[in-house]
Amino acid sequence: MKVLGQSRRRFGEQERFMLLLITPAALLMALFQVLPIAIGANASFRDWALNNPKKTWVGLSHYIDVITDPAFLQVVLPNTFLFMAVSVAGALAIGLCLALVLNRGFRGQKLVQTMLLLPLMVAPVIAAIMMRWMFNDQFGIVNVVLEAIGIEGQPWMAQRWSAFGVILLTDIWLWTPWFMLLLLAGLQSLPKEPFEAAAIDGTTSWRVFRYLTLPMLRPVIVVCVVIRSIDAFRTFDIVWTLTGGGPARSTELFSLYAYVHAFLNLDFGKGSAAAIVGAVIILVVGLLLYRLMDRVMKV
Amino acid sequence: MGMVKQPVFAEIAPAARRAFFALAVFAVCLLFIFPVLWLILTSLRPVSGVYYVHRGLEFTLGNFAEVLRDERIVHAFVNSGLIATLATVLSLMVTVSSGYMLSRFRGPIARTWFGTIYVFRCVPYISWVLPLYFVTQSWGIYDTYLGLLLPHIAVHICFFSWLMKGFFDGIDPSMEYAALIDGCTRWGAFLRVALPSAIPAISALAVLCWLFTWNEFLFALILTGQKTPVITVVMAQFVSEMGLQWNLMSATAVMALLPAFVLTLFGQKYVIRGLKI
Repeated sequence: MKVLGQSRRRFGEQERFMLLLITPAALLMALFQVLPIAIGANASFRDWALNNPKKTWVGLSHYIDVITDPAFLQVVLPNTFLFMAVSVAGALAIGLCLALVLNRGFRGQKLVQTMLLLPLMVAPVIAAIMMRWMFNDQFGIVNVVLEAIGIEGQPWMAQRWSAFGVILLTDIWLWTPWFMLLLLAGLQSLPKEPFEAAAIDGTTSWRVFRYLTLPMLRPVIVVCVVIRSIDAFRTFDIVWTLTGGGPARSTELFSLYAYVHAFLNLDFGKGSAAAIVGAVIILVVGLLLYRLMDRVMKV
Repeated sequence: MGMVKQPVFAEIAPAARRAFFALAVFAVCLLFIFPVLWLILTSLRPVSGVYYVHRGLEFTLGNFAEVLRDERIVHAFVNSGLIATLATVLSLMVTVSSGYMLSRFRGPIARTWFGTIYVFRCVPYISWVLPLYFVTQSWGIYDTYLGLLLPHIAVHICFFSWLMKGFFDGIDPSMEYAALIDGCTRWGAFLRVALPSAIPAISALAVLCWLFTWNEFLFALILTGQKTPVITVVMAQFVSEMGLQWNLMSATAVMALLPAFVLTLFGQKYVIRGLKI
């Protein structure tokens, strides 16, 4: 990879080429990412509401509002982290099982793989609509089936934890194939020899999994978990479509909290402050995860 | 089962185990595709059938016809397709060069750019899409194609530069080196030597990019209004406004899923390659 970087004589020319290559991307990012973030940061220190055209400077008061807001501390943050942990762990566990099964190879494996990949192509909004229909309290198939076997149907979307469960289910359904695909690719690229040696020694399949497959697969798992955790933290669409944060704002995640304050309560300053608090949290988490990723990759 | 004696169990074991395995695989597949099947089934039922869906066997295509008569929905489909296509072309053009840079060069510039990309990939969408609403409004591009298209390209930059870097890492740079020695310019080495060998990878990314943009919701929700509705936003409004017409809702959703189905069937190879990083 170093070859192209070796012409020491034309030092400036190479740097110019490098900069030219990233100029369009950097320009777009500056205009549509960096600038908005700067404006948002500015707004978070101001009283940026409709009834105040002067946009008075209010210092840190929005931030204090947000981090002392009991809804944010006791509902939104726990929800967000719980969602992140359960959805990533669930999709990872199921995805790993499916990848192990698919890796064994059997008749019809291609067809099975195609079917299992289907959720990957489904828009989160559509997935949410499907689940909402299935868990509809009057006409949804879930309640109909439950009642048919003698269990009382639940108003799924009207209770906090069942609504949260449906949100988790939707997210795990959507993302399991992604884990499955990447882990399967990882499994297929593992060297064969250790497994052959283990087979000759008559090692049980659990021990093969625990002491061979899992350690060798660890780099792939860590990369998947890092990428997915960061994305899970900012989930918006499925929650918005499934529950809209309800009932009584009890299933709100961090993105929804910021959105609700900025666009429904029309308090853009507080919404921005919440968005920035969230961004800082995920940056810290992201850096920790990156460190972890780095360390695991080196091992 | 526990009562079965050992020898008998050993005899039936292989067959039973295989049957059990096949059954389990079948059940898992069914579980995965059931929501989509149920959606398709609902979209084919008349209104009366939806609410008493568990009786009667009437089927109709009327829901699709009725949905297609709704101008707003047709408009939204056209918009979504147009924006997804344009965003795909443009963001690939932007990220291919940025990914090439990341893959082929070392040093402070490349390191800084990589760091920037990682950091901005972590920033939650909501933190920059909220103020983007004001930015696009003050530039007069709110609720226009441009106002949705440009942010969409910007969304993809971080992730796709990363993926592109991976693709170029897998291509041996010695050909480019040879081209440079033969008097080719750096641009020539990039565009005429490296780019053609990356075409398969780029087409994989194109499929993904199209799907991501077609499926995207948050940006569209905040950056579009009456003039440029896109399908995901229209559907989400549908749920809250006309939440009772599940047959129409399902028909719309099935049509929005069509591109995904087509891609799954014909472009699976590419999508898989794109997602494997």
